[in-house]
Amino acid sequence: MLPLGFLAVAALAFALAALTLPWIAGELSGHYYHPRILALTHALTLGWITVTILGASYQLIPIVLERPVWSERLGRWELAAVTVGMLGVVGHMAIASWPGLVWSAGLVAIGVFAHVTNTALTLRGLERWSFTAGMLAMGFTGLVLTTLFGAALGIDHVRAFLPGDFYARLHAHVHLALLGWVLPVVLGVSSHVYPMFLLTPHPSRRVVAVQTTGLALGVPAVVIGLLVAPPLAAAGSLAIAAAVGAHVGWVVAVVRSSRRPAFDWALRFLVAGTAYLVAATAVGVALAFGVVSGPRWALGYGVLVLGGWASLTIVGMMLKIVPFLVWYRVYSPLAGRAPVPGLADLRWAGTEAVAFVALTAGVGTLAIAVGMADTTAIRAAAALVLVGALAFAATLVTTLHHLLPCPLRAAVRPS
Amino acid sequence: MSRRPSPASAAYVATPRPAAVAAIPAARRVELDVRATIQRGEEPFAAIMAAVARLTPDEVLVLRAPFEPVPLYAVLGKRGFAHWTERRADDDWVVWFYRGEPTAAPSTSAPPAGATIDVRGLEPPQPMVAVLERLETLGRGERLTVVHDRRPTFLYPQLDARGFTHSTDEPEPGVVRIVIERVGP
Repeated sequence: MLPLGFLAVAALAFALAALTLPWIAGELSGHYYHPRILALTHALTLGWITVTILGASYQLIPIVLERPVWSERLGRWELAAVTVGMLGVVGHMAIASWPGLVWSAGLVAIGVFAHVTNTALTLRGLERWSFTAGMLAMGFTGLVLTTLFGAALGIDHVRAFLPGDFYARLHAHVHLALLGWVLPVVLGVSSHVYPMFLLTPHPSRRVVAVQTTGLALGVPAVVIGLLVAPPLAAAGSLAIAAAVGAHVGWVVAVVRSSRRPAFDWALRFLVAGTAYLVAATAVGVALAFGVVSGPRWALGYGVLVLGGWASLTIVGMMLKIVPFLVWYRVYSPLAGRAPVPGLADLRWAGTEAVAFVALTAGVGTLAIAVGMADTTAIRAAAALVLVGALAFAATLVTTLHHLLPCPLRAAVRPS
Repeated sequence: MSRRPSPASAAYVATPRPAAVAAIPAARRVELDVRATIQRGEEPFAAIMAAVARLTPDEVLVLRAPFEPVPLYAVLGKRGFAHWTERRADDDWVVWFYRGEPTAAPSTSAPPAGATIDVRGLEPPQPMVAVLERLETLGRGERLTVVHDRRPTFLYPQLDARGFTHSTDEPEPGVVRIVIERVGP
């Protein structure tokens, strides 16, 4: 199945990023504009976060939009282009080879445009635009702009042509990716899938309106403000904070009203990711208003955003999505004809628990350690994150092994 | 069955133990306690349906749960099981599922045209499992109406592969109705 291919590549990127963490503890105690930190950042933002969202969207689009994806074949080509491009971007960043970075970014751009084309042709003629569909459209627009911006930054390294301050462009690119691409997709998808997981109502019109307005006003304000007018970025950060606040308030409400008798580890990851989103937003607003500043705060902020909010949320979503995809592929043809396992039977609760404790504690410790520029503490926290990432990988392997041929399943499979 | 007591269960009224239940000896009771499973956050639906599938014709399932498993009544009722529920405590419910005096279509005969199954409130993939299990008892030309809270995008390919036709509409906001008919053998 197409989504599983994307999710497998993303999980590998996450595991590889975690593997490198303890070895770049020294770099993480310095300035964030370092080739290896840039490589790590893109392994996370491009390889882990973006590839996950692209893959998950191929599962969610048919559910949310109630229509099949326009072309699965295009999706497979897209996966190849994005994977090779991502490896090229990360590898060339690590060795600071800018010409190689440009062609790699070009491959990523081809993959992204393939995805957006596929999504646009799937959305074509959609009669009823839900909040989720609108957020996906906003997110994919942000992804295209982020990709173009990133490619322009890469070309600028080879032949300088962009005006303005270098760091302003870098910060704008990062925030366009986080706020214009990742945040709308997470908010939109959450509003659809959390009620499915937690058996609770969807967000109210007021909550949806605050989130939509906050992003529509906040994202352009933050990005343009970072480029040319810092006060505008500060105002935009408040609009983003309002959108985040509405989302967090809704998550708290649905968790309280959930009809589920107990939380599984996936839901705990989603709640922990939301908690990190609150912390990251607070630091982001403080940075925008100049209450705090400097590379230490910026690196800590990056850890909270990428390692805390985005990664924990994605791990939680994956622990829900991957078992379902595997179950659907392997067991749905047998359902009704033979006893089939439930989703819980495809998981390994022990490794999920280890992953939760190690990742949530490790990321928090890492954010503090990079803020203090303490190499020893960074290495210890990175080791904890690595343990969590490996436990997460073991959980996925446990689930994915059901895809392997099994004589028992073959015996009961209908002809 | 991942639900806490619903409004329906809040209206639970204790009834005397039916004679059919009182006469069942211990040897014919298959007991399944899902309280620990639910406490761990896991879904007991598959284990329950597996236990039901293993029941011999003269056995009953005695299910113990931390809340009244209201959705199961419809699912197993359509398979020919009646139920009797006793509340021992707010978080300790015992439900006897036994054949005879069925609350819905009996499993020993084909379900009537127009039979309905309500899968709202179930977490994926439980709705799909419940519908496909119910469809296995559907005869040629007979219909099953599924009441769902969303369009079951992943169910449709299974219906097509198994020789069913289906149509979907939304009789009211938030309620999706799928009418399924067996056209193949």
